[in-house]
Amino acid sequence: MASLLRWYPPAWRERYGDEFTVLMEDQAGDRRPTFRVKLSVIGAGLRERGHASGLIGLQRSPGERARAGSLLVLCTWTAFVLAGASFSKLSEHFAQALPAGGQPIPRGAFDVVVGFGVLGVVLVALGAVAAVPAFVRFVGGGGWSFIRGHVLRAVILTAVTTGAVIPLGVWAHHLNAFQRNGGDGLYSAAFVGWAVLVAGTLAQWTVTGVVAARRMAFTRRVLHVEATLAVVVMVAMVVITAATALWWGAMANDAPWFLRGTATGTDPSPFNLQLVMTMTLMLTAVLVAAYGVVRVVGSWSGLTTA
Amino acid sequence: MAKGEPTGLRRPNDPPVLILTSLAAGPKHGHALAKDIEEFAGVSLGPGTLYGAITRLEERGLIEPLQSDDRRRPYGITAAGSAALARVVTDMRQLADVGAARLGLTWGTLA
Repeated sequence: MASLLRWYPPAWRERYGDEFTVLMEDQAGDRRPTFRVKLSVIGAGLRERGHASGLIGLQRSPGERARAGSLLVLCTWTAFVLAGASFSKLSEHFAQALPAGGQPIPRGAFDVVVGFGVLGVVLVALGAVAAVPAFVRFVGGGGWSFIRGHVLRAVILTAVTTGAVIPLGVWAHHLNAFQRNGGDGLYSAAFVGWAVLVAGTLAQWTVTGVVAARRMAFTRRVLHVEATLAVVVMVAMVVITAATALWWGAMANDAPWFLRGTATGTDPSPFNLQLVMTMTLMLTAVLVAAYGVVRVVGSWSGLTTA
Repeated sequence: MAKGEPTGLRRPNDPPVLILTSLAAGPKHGHALAKDIEEFAGVSLGPGTLYGAITRLEERGLIEPLQSDDRRRPYGITAAGSAALARVVTDMRQLADVGAARLGLTWGTLA
């Protein structure tokens, strides 16, 4: 039963943990909690974490809610970066597959994806820069102990991921284009493993940022900046998702064989599993980011008058 | 608590309404609350739902924890909780009266 309590935030466990455990023992008697009860407790624990972080309800201050919404957008941006990397790999040399004579839509859509992707990176970097003074105060005030473990894990993952690039690059150098793009099973498996490492590294840095940012004391002005940036990043994500869908549609019309990786003029099916997964990740990230923006916008007036 | 102030109370079978109704009869700890609610409302509240509602009600000052010698901490309804429950019950009664009148029923025939 104690393991179920881990789904709740630490402060809640401190306040209610003991009596909650007694209640579960009273209700279960000699039996173990059923799967349904466990699921219900896990859901309740996650909701409590949502309340504690300011993602659910109105108990937290407008500043806390705006911060939570902005951090949620930051998390979804990390997922978006992974989707963008997948799209970048998938769309390599797509222009060469297009029939001669223009085809401005897929090229234009691709340029929009790249342009807004760069914009998103710049906005997230600006958000990080705006948080530097608060971060310095946080570390100076003893905050390092909260993030030391996270930073260590992130640094180790970064070192492993970066170190793996060299042998992978050397290996790729000895392969032809076909082998590099799925023709060599062993290389493909190694590449997927490296991609997982990249995803893990990004996720770990994001977790580190969130853990620190939740404890940092932002001024009202910085909170406004972060909240505004979060809204604009979400808009950029919407544009990128729409442009990716447009690119897919245009490629399906102009060069569907490219999406299937088959010879020019063959295979009219526009289905591509990697693209489906990429679009699913993008759409999910946009929906979650939209919720974050709703939290930001909903707390805006309180943030102004706080 | 002023009229119109949010209390988080919505439907009559909402866990917060059920908990306040149960505590209106006297302080109870979690397990006693769950058993009482199951008896008078036929609603079985799991531990997650029950303590989620207890947390919100305590945050809003509608219930309060009482001293206890063992790990089973009892809760009591506060004056603000009683006022909020009275308002909800009055609203429910008004709704029930309108519904009954439109159906041509009298309270004596509703059993």
